[in-house]
Amino acid sequence: MGDMFRRYGKSATFIICLITAFWLLMLVILPNVTLLESSFRPLLPVTEIGGPNDQYTFANYLKVFNGSIDTTLMGIPVHIPVHVLTFTLTLFYSVVVTLLCFVLAYPLSYFMAKIISPKSLPTMFLLLFVPLWVSEVLRAFAWWIILALKGPLSSLLVWLHLIDQPIRWISGYNGVLIGLVYTYVLFMIFPVYNAMSSLDSNQIEAAEDLGSPWWRTHLRIVLPHCKPGIASGAVMVFMLSAGSLLVPTILGSTTSQWFTQTIQQWMFDALDWNTAAAYAFLLLLMCTLFVSLVMRLFRVKLADIAK
Amino acid sequence: MTTKSTLNRRSFLQTTAVGAGALAAPALISSKALASSGELNFVGWAGYDNFKTIVFPAFEAATGIKVNFKELPDQETMFGEAKVALEAGGVDMIEPTIDRVGAWNSNGILAAWDPAKLAMDNYLPGLADGAAGERSHKDGALMYVPSNWGTESLVYNKESAKLGDPASLGALFSPDNEVTLRPHSALAAMGRWLDATGKLPRPWMDGYSDMGAMAELWDIALAEAIKAKGNVVQWWSGENEANAGFTANGATVGLCWDSTGYNLRNDGYGYAAPVEGAFAWHQGFILMKNAKNVDQAHELAKWVSTPEGAAMWATAFSSNPVGKGAADKMSPDVSAYYNGTFNDDALAKLWWWPDQSAEFLTKRAEYADKYKAA
Repeated sequence: MGDMFRRYGKSATFIICLITAFWLLMLVILPNVTLLESSFRPLLPVTEIGGPNDQYTFANYLKVFNGSIDTTLMGIPVHIPVHVLTFTLTLFYSVVVTLLCFVLAYPLSYFMAKIISPKSLPTMFLLLFVPLWVSEVLRAFAWWIILALKGPLSSLLVWLHLIDQPIRWISGYNGVLIGLVYTYVLFMIFPVYNAMSSLDSNQIEAAEDLGSPWWRTHLRIVLPHCKPGIASGAVMVFMLSAGSLLVPTILGSTTSQWFTQTIQQWMFDALDWNTAAAYAFLLLLMCTLFVSLVMRLFRVKLADIAK
Repeated sequence: MTTKSTLNRRSFLQTTAVGAGALAAPALISSKALASSGELNFVGWAGYDNFKTIVFPAFEAATGIKVNFKELPDQETMFGEAKVALEAGGVDMIEPTIDRVGAWNSNGILAAWDPAKLAMDNYLPGLADGAAGERSHKDGALMYVPSNWGTESLVYNKESAKLGDPASLGALFSPDNEVTLRPHSALAAMGRWLDATGKLPRPWMDGYSDMGAMAELWDIALAEAIKAKGNVVQWWSGENEANAGFTANGATVGLCWDSTGYNLRNDGYGYAAPVEGAFAWHQGFILMKNAKNVDQAHELAKWVSTPEGAAMWATAFSSNPVGKGAADKMSPDVSAYYNGTFNDDALAKLWWWPDQSAEFLTKRAEYADKYKAA
């Protein structure tokens, strides 16, 4: 703070703080508090708001247990509320996305941090960043075109005689997985790369000199060193995937449903903003719980990630 | 002697920061707080370019009233906007469909129109009187006046679709076709198809007035629709998705808006009315309870009932006009397209979307959810 006073003078510092406070309060805290408050109120006609029926209740949160359907989860037939099913599938596929991102990001990060010459690093970064210059909507929609029945992928494979009939690639959660991995893989690459580049290459050489096979070097030396980077990448990819609305909406098939889409339906189809708010907080709460649980399981602390 | 510049970096920063705040201040206090006389704040549908380029300029030329047009993509968003505007003001007039009037009114959003300031005789028979007239009135007051109307029916691929003879809503659930649907319309179509083939224990319409009947009927429709879900290749919620469902994803039949069929008319797709009757929507104007420019709103509603206004409004939507004498002024392309689908018999069979209460909409969303997740 004292440093800021010296740099900008009293009034400018004051204004900077004021603007930051305004931003935090008006654009982050207040909307969320409003959302939280309205999630405990019933949906009422405008004329009845503030009336005797306007009592705080948990009913909106409990709606997640309404409307059971019969389905199979990994081959096991279950009778489960439809929104709980959607939520479970959203968490499951977000974990899949996180794992896929890690599988893609780990070798690439290692390549960038330890193998490639530092001279070509900027080119590498540029190549990775280029897709970010295009809006997320367009990228998701481009994937939709590629994967559509009459899209270029099917046409190419038919032309190469690899398949006889065009294939509808977007089925089940395929499209959503492809879209989410493509959109969020960079959020895994950079933290992992960051962690890896801080590893002293001498350690790897020492391991090799002592006769360690390559996989043991990775398992015992590189991987443990990168744990905080992997953790922060995983948290980011998981949270962004579970909270993504755009990709599941554009690349979803007729059998896929993301929990964020359910929230949007409450908001825009049923016009029930209160239940939508409750569902949004459920998603936030459950994802936070899940992430903390997994972090405890892998013995990663929040402070490690912040480094 | 040295003169010291009064402009150094620090004071520059300070003054500009203060200046920026001062500049921003008027934006926070609306200049529209004092309503002017020659304008109208209108909330309508997004995606129809003619309004800004042709329709509103023509209206302004005719009446001198400037329309501030806010475009929104769907009725749900409009309803949200209306709820906010009830507190914040800034909206005079909105263009929902007739089936929402009940829900909007029970939310205290609507003010009554004054028939004396309109020309109720201008409207075509059946649009502002009869059953539609009854639905437009709440407690004897006129809450809604029509602006245009259209249909939701079968868009089909002329080569590969099998619609049945005569064409039926059943085509949407036949394994012979690959279809694009929007979930809640699909369930209604299933219900009406089952109703027409005598497979329902009570009339489908009962579900719209009685929530007990709704659960009974929609449970049946949902179960049947889930059985036939294998041939659904794409959900649509707006014009683009519906279009792409046909052109890129290979759908051969869909239950879609007339505009989808119109846009695809040169690509080998047709628009047909099923024997059960096409779904029909009825769109119009409502006046906000806290409208500032009430007279101007009446002027616009009245203008849209004249032959010129009605024709322009309907042409902009590629839909049908509400005013007498407007049909002669429509674009020949649109007229031809409509007459190709709807003969007198098909027109007589039109199935107007019934009123849907807020409770009904919540329940309907739940059924749509189960259908999508199945």
